[in-house]
Amino acid sequence: MRRYFRLLGVQLRMSVASAMAYRADFLVEGAMSAAWMAVALLPLFVLYGERDTVAGWDAPSALVVLAYFMGVRAVIEGVVNPSLVELVDRIRTGAFDYVLLKPVDAQLLVSGSRYEPWKVLDLLGAVGVAVYAFVLRGHGPEPGHLLVGLALFATGVAAMYALWILCAAASFWVVRLDNLTYLLSAIFDTARWPVQVFRGAWRIVFTFVIPVAVMTTYPAMALLGALDAGTALASAGGAVALLVLSRLVWRAAIRSYTSASS
Amino acid sequence: MIRADELTKHFKVHRRKPGFAAALASVFRRRHELVKAVENVSFRIERGERVGFLGPNGAGKTTTLKLLAGLLHPTSGAVTVDGYVPSKRRPELLRSITLVMGQKSQLIWDLPPSETYAMNRAIFDVPKAEFDATLAELTELLELGKLVDKPTRQLSLGERMKCELAAALLHRPKTLFLDEPTIGLDVAMQLAIRDFVRRYNQRHEATVLLTSHYMDDVVALCPRILVIDEGKLVHDGDLRQLVKTMDPDKRVSFTLTSEVGADELERLGAVIGREGTRVTLRVVEREIPAVVGRLLGPLHVADLAIEDPPLEEILRAMFGKAREQRAASEAAEAGGAT
Repeated sequence: MRRYFRLLGVQLRMSVASAMAYRADFLVEGAMSAAWMAVALLPLFVLYGERDTVAGWDAPSALVVLAYFMGVRAVIEGVVNPSLVELVDRIRTGAFDYVLLKPVDAQLLVSGSRYEPWKVLDLLGAVGVAVYAFVLRGHGPEPGHLLVGLALFATGVAAMYALWILCAAASFWVVRLDNLTYLLSAIFDTARWPVQVFRGAWRIVFTFVIPVAVMTTYPAMALLGALDAGTALASAGGAVALLVLSRLVWRAAIRSYTSASS
Repeated sequence: MIRADELTKHFKVHRRKPGFAAALASVFRRRHELVKAVENVSFRIERGERVGFLGPNGAGKTTTLKLLAGLLHPTSGAVTVDGYVPSKRRPELLRSITLVMGQKSQLIWDLPPSETYAMNRAIFDVPKAEFDATLAELTELLELGKLVDKPTRQLSLGERMKCELAAALLHRPKTLFLDEPTIGLDVAMQLAIRDFVRRYNQRHEATVLLTSHYMDDVVALCPRILVIDEGKLVHDGDLRQLVKTMDPDKRVSFTLTSEVGADELERLGAVIGREGTRVTLRVVEREIPAVVGRLLGPLHVADLAIEDPPLEEILRAMFGKAREQRAASEAAEAGGAT
């Protein structure tokens, strides 16, 4: 296990060094991170300028959901997405061969192969938004709620990661999956709103099929002290089930790897 | 030890005719074809052997190497490397093998090779002291010098290949699968890589399996060769033996110092090349002493050389023959069917 942490450390160091190789990009990425944060906040301010609550959520509570959305997106875009984009490229060119030749778990190796260091700013922004939300509420979260909220943040990231791995595994068969990842990103975009905003079939889809509720709404409710234990457990269980499913599909995908070109 | 028993790998590939209409049709109805990349191939390779894979493009050489390295799962048959099944990817096996592909790179493009080496050290869990010693040895053998600190994208093809080899060998593997390691390199660099592989093999008693388009690589490095054609193993053994079996005649080349008639030359052997005063004859081995006596005696030739036929020529004849036989049997089958 220590070896894997050391390996992750080396990969992180290398990504930062790679990013430093293009200094101008490094600065542009930083500015872009700040701009995206502002864009993410805008719709919420517009909406709550008109009314006090939406589907039972007041503005500060909805800000907590948005903070979770920004946090999960920061981790996905900072770690998972760049690594898996690189994976797809490796499968297409056949360079994935070198991953399979290493005496470590291939999924772990590719999952942390590339980072976008500037996304740390997004993560800090998410924390800032959460803090601001609680300032608006006039009191901080209770320690117990904070603990469950953080744990569910981890399971939310895990659920999103599992969906990405499922997409990546598909690329072993179809190779071009850019569209699939765009679709996934677009669907994840709905996670900026509490799931209660959606009605009927959509709410079922976003809770059970593509569980964006597990990623943002439930963790936010936990932090706000509004989530019952049963839903918290079911939410974590759902994330674990997705992880297990993604692992099984990944292993099947590796078996059918055909190693492009000579 | 490497064992392959009845090793077979089939691929299902999608085929379509050229053109837009065919592309559109293939969306609705796909035609698949079974490609028999490797077919019932069996061999044993002992520790420390240097073995060359020869065969035309698409013969199944690289597929066989990938099966041995565990990248591909065999369709049928069995393969073991040091007692392990490669496709199970046991860490113990992966620590003792390496695969170098001349057409693919594991170096991180934007960073110097030293960063890839650091990554491989973490992946293979090589202790610092051992890593430093191996890197020093590889730097000396491959004459890497300061290359390891230059960004990979700024290295020439040859320099990059040398750095690739170092990256692949930092964990001191006992079995080396080398797939076209000299492709695209100039002669000096080819010689350097060849020399390095031989020295590594001798110093570490490592097993080496090599495929190369450059026949000279295989001739210089591999006492034993496996010839693969259309997925089938058609020869396994000593290189000289293959040459002797396929074409026992020698090539005698010389430069004429005086005018000699075509009849006179034909009496010595078959003239297979003549460019000005330079002549090459094909001569049956037992007649060599008499022919050489005559050339050096009455004919006063200069620069006399006696050689085995070039391997390229032998292989071309070999693959050509195999293809003709196959075509003939297919024609016979088709004739029987109608």
